[in-house]
Amino acid sequence: MKIFIVIPAFNEEKRIGGVLSGLKKAKQKIIVVDDGSKDKTAQIAKKYTTGVLIHRVNLGKGAALKTGAIFAFDSGADAIVFMDSDGQHKEKDLPVFIKALEDGYEVVLGSRNLNFGVPLVRYMGNKMASLFVSLLFGIYASDLLCGFRAMTKRAFRKMNWESAGYGIETEMVVKTKQLGLKHCEVPVETVYYDKVKGVTMLDAFGIFFQVLKWRIKWVF
Amino acid sequence: MGILGLQIVAIFFALVMVYFAVLNYKRGELNGTEILSWLIIWTFVIFVAAFPELLRTFAKAFFLTRVFDLMVVGGFIVVLLIASISYIRTKRLEKKFEDLIRKNALTVVKKEKK
Repeated sequence: MKIFIVIPAFNEEKRIGGVLSGLKKAKQKIIVVDDGSKDKTAQIAKKYTTGVLIHRVNLGKGAALKTGAIFAFDSGADAIVFMDSDGQHKEKDLPVFIKALEDGYEVVLGSRNLNFGVPLVRYMGNKMASLFVSLLFGIYASDLLCGFRAMTKRAFRKMNWESAGYGIETEMVVKTKQLGLKHCEVPVETVYYDKVKGVTMLDAFGIFFQVLKWRIKWVF
Repeated sequence: MGILGLQIVAIFFALVMVYFAVLNYKRGELNGTEILSWLIIWTFVIFVAAFPELLRTFAKAFFLTRVFDLMVVGGFIVVLLIASISYIRTKRLEKKFEDLIRKNALTVVKKEKK
């Protein structure tokens, strides 16, 4: 099974080198999507991989993941693993994703141990969001917003997500349920380096309304 | 006196908007049909502001005692309509923009690989 790693990056010149250097041990092909960075993220990434795609304008995480996924599957991948570019996901957790994919799961959701190292506000927000989605859609993802995930080509083609921003992780979970895709959760380690990046309260507010919209669409 | 002041402000506002409509037409940002539509709309606004009694019959038809109330309700409806049209158009543009940026990124990386 050919598995590629897709990493969306936005202004990560300080950490992208370390992340890609760590991934050298993994034998998977790496694709980095520079989502309109103003710094040297793309130049640094190019030192480690030839698969660097550049969005001229910042579109958002969902759009960057989609670009990376399209490129990966067009280049012959059977499945992809999404990782964040800020170093919070560890290369040592990759084998559990690969094993789950090889075991026949179409979507593999990483789940951080939220009891360690996660800011309290994020922990509470994440848990509330998980419960909310569980109530509306009947799927419980213990870590709804974790960006460490994997999916097969078939799952990607079926999902065809619309979220361009941070709503993507939630949409993936919702569509996994709606499309009846075989899925599982795997535990992953995480370290929070940057407390200002990631999903903000404003993003969360937008995602809340998106979730309601998806629920209404699901009825009709 | 208060109503007269409001009427003057409304007429002045409509005239300023006519000026902007004509300016945009001269710059080529509006076509013939669009400038004509805007001129009709703003002329209507000027007439209604100058002779609000013209709308008395409509106000009665909707069980509104004051013409001013009719204008406020009508204004809300128009604003909501414009907001929803703008929302849909913005979403369409966002999608086209996203597709364009993505296409460019994929084309460049494929060229670099060759």
